Amino acid sequence: MLATGSAAAASDGKIVVASKIDTEGALLGNMILALLEARGLAVENKIQLGPTNIVRAAILAGQVDIYPEYTGNGALFFHMESDPAWKNWAQGYALVERLCRERNRLVWLTPAPANNTWVIAVRKDLAERHGLKSMDDFARYLAEGGRIKLAASAEFVESPAALPAFEATYGFRLSDEQLLTLSGGNTAATLRAAAEQMSGVNAAMAYGTDGALAALGLVALVDDKGAQIVYAPAPVVREPVLQQHPEIRSTLDPVFATLTLETLQKLNAEIAVEGREGQTVAVSYLKSKHFLP
Amino acid sequence: MGIHNQVLFVLVAIGAVAVALSGFVGFAPNRLVSGNPIPLWKAAGALPAASIALLGTLILAASLAKPSKPVLYSAAVSAALLLLVALTAAGQAARTLSLSATPASRISLAPAFWILVACAALAVGDALQRLEARIATTAVAVIAITSGAALLAALGTFDALSIAREYESRHQEFSDALVRHMTLVGASVGGAVAIGFPLGVATAKRPRLEGPVFAILNTLQTIPSIALFGLLIVPLSALAAAMPWLGAFGIAGVGMAPAIIALVLYALLPAVRNTVAGLRSVDSSAIDAGRGMGMSSSQILWQVELPLSSPVLLAGLRIVTVQAIGLAVVAALIGAGGLGTFVFEGLGQYAVDLVLLGALPAILLALAADFVLQILTAMLRRRAAP
Repeated sequence: MLATGSAAAASDGKIVVASKIDTEGALLGNMILALLEARGLAVENKIQLGPTNIVRAAILAGQVDIYPEYTGNGALFFHMESDPAWKNWAQGYALVERLCRERNRLVWLTPAPANNTWVIAVRKDLAERHGLKSMDDFARYLAEGGRIKLAASAEFVESPAALPAFEATYGFRLSDEQLLTLSGGNTAATLRAAAEQMSGVNAAMAYGTDGALAALGLVALVDDKGAQIVYAPAPVVREPVLQQHPEIRSTLDPVFATLTLETLQKLNAEIAVEGREGQTVAVSYLKSKHFLP
Repeated sequence: MGIHNQVLFVLVAIGAVAVALSGFVGFAPNRLVSGNPIPLWKAAGALPAASIALLGTLILAASLAKPSKPVLYSAAVSAALLLLVALTAAGQAARTLSLSATPASRISLAPAFWILVACAALAVGDALQRLEARIATTAVAVIAITSGAALLAALGTFDALSIAREYESRHQEFSDALVRHMTLVGASVGGAVAIGFPLGVATAKRPRLEGPVFAILNTLQTIPSIALFGLLIVPLSALAAAMPWLGAFGIAGVGMAPAIIALVLYALLPAVRNTVAGLRSVDSSAIDAGRGMGMSSSQILWQVELPLSSPVLLAGLRIVTVQAIGLAVVAALIGAGGLGTFVFEGLGQYAVDLVLLGALPAILLALAADFVLQILTAMLRRRAAP
C-alpha cells in the first residue's frame, strides 16, 4: 500500500509543502513555501500539519512532498539510536540521506549549519556567578557541590541518548533530588520552570535553537564533547518530485546554508517571544538576505 | 438577620476574596513569562473598582434579604452588570498599563478577573433558576450579556489585552480556523447522525445486537485520537491513489478526511446510546395502541416512537455536538486546521494567550450550541406535553 501511495502524484501536480506543528516548523516550512512559490512552482500549503510521526507518515504515503526534518531523527525512524554517526553533523547527514534515499525514496537536501539538539540551559544569574559556559563547567560546578535542580521530561531523563549521555560524557550524576521530572513535559514547560524558579528549579532541558532562551533569562551550555545526537534541520523531498523539479535543490540549499544556530534562535524568538506569525518572519528574513525580491 | 440565599452569599465571598488576594491583570515583559499580578484597584483605577464593590454589595444584600421576585431580579441584574463592568475594567487596565510598556510586553487576564466573571455568571444563573425563569427569559439574559460584551469588544475596550494582541497578529488565520472548526463539527455531527441513528434504531429493535455494537463503539472511544489519525493515513492515501476522483471530494490521507472520520467514530457512541435510550423510553402502551390501530412498524417508528422520544434524541444530539466541538481541537494534529492550530502552537511555545485564542472560542461555541439545542429541546417538550 505504501508503494502505491508514494508513486502517486501529489494533489494536482502541486508541490505539497508541510511542516511540523511547532515554532521552527512554521518558520522553515514558510521559508520553503515562499521560495518555491517565488521560483514559479505551484505549491500547496500544509504547514503545521502535525507532530513528527504524522508528518513522516504523510510524506511516506505521498500526501506531502517536502517538509523540514532533523537529521538526528533518522535514529528514531530507523531504530538506530546507538549508532555513533548521529553525534556528528556530517556523518549523521550522510547516514540519514542514504537510508531515506534507499528505503523511502526521500532525498535530504543540505542541512542548515545548526544543531537543534537537547541542551541543558541554566539561569543567567547562576551562569554569571559561577562562570558556567559549557557542560564541562556544569560538571565542575556539580563536583564542587553547587546547587542544581534540573527540570526535564521523563524522556530526557531516561532515554540513553539524552541526560545519561551527558552524564557519561562529562562525568557527573544527577540525583533524584536534583531533578524535577515532568512526565510528558516539553521544553516550553521546563524553560518556564527555570525562568520562574518553580520548586527551586534553576536549570532546564532545552533545544539548541530555541528562541525563548534569551527572553526567559536562560543560557544554553555548550556541549563541546558532542555527547548529544546532532539535529540539523534540512528539507526532505520525495525523489520523484525532485527529479521533476531539480531546481528545488538549487533554490533551497543556499538559503539553508545561512541558517546558523544564532540566526535560527533569533528568528524563532521573533515568533515565540514577540508573537509574530511564522510566515511574516520567514518572508522578512528571506527579503533581508535578498533571496526574495 | 440570616443568610437566605447561601449560593449567592458564597459566590460574593469567593469573588471578594479573589479580588482582595489575587491579581486582576498580570503584567509580563514578554508573552512567554507569567505576568506580575496587579490588584483590581491599582490596575483599573477608582471608578471601576468602586462600581464592582457597589454591585458586589448589592448582590450581598440580595443574598441576605428574604427571597422575593424583586430581590432575585435585582441580584440577576447586578450580577450581569458586574460581569460587564469587570470586562470593561480589565480592558481599561490593560490600556492604561500598555501606555508605559514596550511592544513585546503583555497584559493578561489574571485569576481575580476569571473568578469574578465566573462568580457573576453563576450568580446570574442562580437567580434565574430561583425565579424559575422560562427559557425565553434566560435567552433574553444571555443575549443581553453577550451583546453587551460584543459591544465592548467592538468599541475596542479589549484591544490592549494580551489575548486581543494574539488575535491581532492572527486575525486572518483566525476566521479561517473558526470556519474550519465549524465545518469539522458540522460534518462529524452529520456523519454521526447519519450512521448512528439507523444503527441505534436497529440496536433498539434487536437486543442481541446490543452487546457487540456497544463493545465496538466503546473500544473505538478508547483509541487515542493521535493514534487513530496515524492509523488512517495509510489506507486513506492508498484509497485516494487508487481512485483519484476521490481527491476532488477532499479524500486524502491528511487533512479534513481523517479528522472527520475520527470525529464521527468518537461521536457514534453517544449517538447510538441516546437513540437506544430514547426509543426504550417510549411507553410500551403507546406502541401497543399504535399497533392496535393497525399501524405498520415503520409507521410506529416515525409517528409514535420518534416524536415521543425526541427530547431524549435531542439531548443526545446536544452531547454529540458539544463533544465534537471540543474534540475537533485535536484535528489540528492531522492538518485539518481549526481552532486547535492555536492551541497546539501555543502549547509548544508555552504562550498561554495563544492557547486561549484557540480554547476560548471553542468553549464559547460549545456553550452556544448547548444553549441553542437546550432551547430546541424545551420547545419540543412543551409541544409534546398535552
